[in-house]
Amino acid sequence: MEKQSRQDRRALEKRLRREQRARMTRKFLHNKLAMLGSLMILTVVLLALLAPVLAPQGPLENSVYDRLTPPSLDGYLFGSDNLGRSVFARVLYGARLSLTIGASVGLLSMVLGMVLGLYASYYRFLDNLIMRVCDGLSAIPSTLLAIALMASLDRNILNLIISLTVVSVPRVARVARSAAVVVREQTYIEAMRSAGASSTRIIWGHIAPNILSPVLVQSSYIFANAIITEAALSFLGVGVPLPEPSWGNILYEGKAVIHKAWWMIVYPGLFTAVTVLGLNIFGDGLRDVLDPHTN
Amino acid sequence: MAKNILEVQNLVTRFKTEQGLMKALDGVSFHVEEGELVGLVGESGCGKSVMSQSIMRLYDEKTQARYEGKVLFNGRDLLTLDEKEMQRVRGQEITMVFQDALSALDPVFPVGSQIAEALRIHQGLKGKEAREQAEEMLRLVGIPSPGERMRSYPHELSGGMRQRVMIAIALCCHPKLLIADEPTTALDVTIQAQIMELIVRLNKQLNMGVLLITHDLAVIAETCTRVAVMYLGQIVEEADVKTLFRRPAHPYTRGLLRSIPRLDGDKRERLFVIGGTVPLLSQIPQGCRFAPRCPYACEDCGRREPELLPVPGGEKDHLARCHKAADGQGVS
Repeated sequence: MEKQSRQDRRALEKRLRREQRARMTRKFLHNKLAMLGSLMILTVVLLALLAPVLAPQGPLENSVYDRLTPPSLDGYLFGSDNLGRSVFARVLYGARLSLTIGASVGLLSMVLGMVLGLYASYYRFLDNLIMRVCDGLSAIPSTLLAIALMASLDRNILNLIISLTVVSVPRVARVARSAAVVVREQTYIEAMRSAGASSTRIIWGHIAPNILSPVLVQSSYIFANAIITEAALSFLGVGVPLPEPSWGNILYEGKAVIHKAWWMIVYPGLFTAVTVLGLNIFGDGLRDVLDPHTN
Repeated sequence: MAKNILEVQNLVTRFKTEQGLMKALDGVSFHVEEGELVGLVGESGCGKSVMSQSIMRLYDEKTQARYEGKVLFNGRDLLTLDEKEMQRVRGQEITMVFQDALSALDPVFPVGSQIAEALRIHQGLKGKEAREQAEEMLRLVGIPSPGERMRSYPHELSGGMRQRVMIAIALCCHPKLLIADEPTTALDVTIQAQIMELIVRLNKQLNMGVLLITHDLAVIAETCTRVAVMYLGQIVEEADVKTLFRRPAHPYTRGLLRSIPRLDGDKRERLFVIGGTVPLLSQIPQGCRFAPRCPYACEDCGRREPELLPVPGGEKDHLARCHKAADGQGVS
């Protein structure tokens, strides 16, 4: 009898939890923006993951006789570049690189921005120090700052990620701080203090989860922005080192032959645009789903 | 005689403001005995909440406030402890219940995990153990089917339930003193009665001292053994409940009592109102602080500040801060 009722209860709890999850998922699915955005990103991610299958000819394999072949269904799908490499393969492999750089920058900026924002909001003496440095960093146009940083560092992918992160962190830190300043004044934070929680526990256990949604949304914009800036840097020749394919690199190489081979510009440009647009739409949708006021 | 669990001596709390230091508490002294339920009344802005926050030292001493005097808890002066030691006292030996339970609970965690967190902080309990104990606490404060409620988020509970959860969090480490800062103000009357009953029951059951801060005299009359009345950062009268309600010595207390609407009067009369408003902290009047609003004030009241003294011919431990009461003239 006793056992029976306990089983019933456990089943009920399980159902309640499932429903809660289902509610969030439904809300997300019903949000057309979020769906459209994720669909666009998923397509690009899928293409990037399946690159070896879809493009058996590697991104660095060249055949000199096939230079600048126009796109065709039975030959080079996206045409070939000035060294006779498949643009299709380069764009897909480039997606891997561009997405990796974008995601790393998004994630790193999120973590660092959150650390800076949280501590700036909690300790007043750190506030001015951290936020003024952030102000200083954001006073310089981000692309320009990234170029300057890349110019003074070795040109490799790790340094590229570092430069783009340095440029993006202030934007996350500002969002995190302003959200955290509001949360810090809430009664439940005072209640936690009166329950004997340490500052570290309050900052990471209670303020951080409460500011996660705006930070997450901001980070998705940073992700998009990092892809654009990476493309811009590579286009200018200070980004991903050649011959490694990234969308910016393909554009850079296409620039010289733009009158003969439109496909070298159009396809990587299209991929960049779709990904960045997808991420931005996704960010907007995410904001609507996470923010209870927009329902 | 029971031991004093809390003894506040001459507590002064000053806030740092742009106009300099503001005295929000000015020489407050009172005590709470083991297992005693003491009430603290006063109108808005008189320093009731500042008092509770000062006992817990919740104001940041570097930027916000400065304390003087002594807060003896179990004979130990809390004002001399460092932050680490203070964290052990908070939530384990002294805990607080807030007025608005919805804003005092973290919206992103289920209530069960919030109770469990208090247990993890102070008793070092781990996952399952903490959860079981938390469920036990929910049962103790009278929440039906605690197992399911453990997973509820604060916004999914009713006001009464939320306040019960707050109490569960406050009690889970078996504190020796509970500070309840207007615990029932945000609740409707029937729930208010249930919550007060719960607090009184737990006060007896766990032999825990309770400092009940409220502006509701009815709640005080029903539950407390002793009452302190505050006005402008000072205690103006202190007595056991019966004495205070039958023979209030301070004009302010009399005013408070007369401001309660009554149903048993013969004729319909307008409700009594204490004239004037609470002065700003920056404009504390000279002499007796209540004098400008006091119907019995004489010239002397505006010059000399009265002390908190035993009322002549009154009950034992009946104290009042009033020249007239001290002269034995009474203020009737």
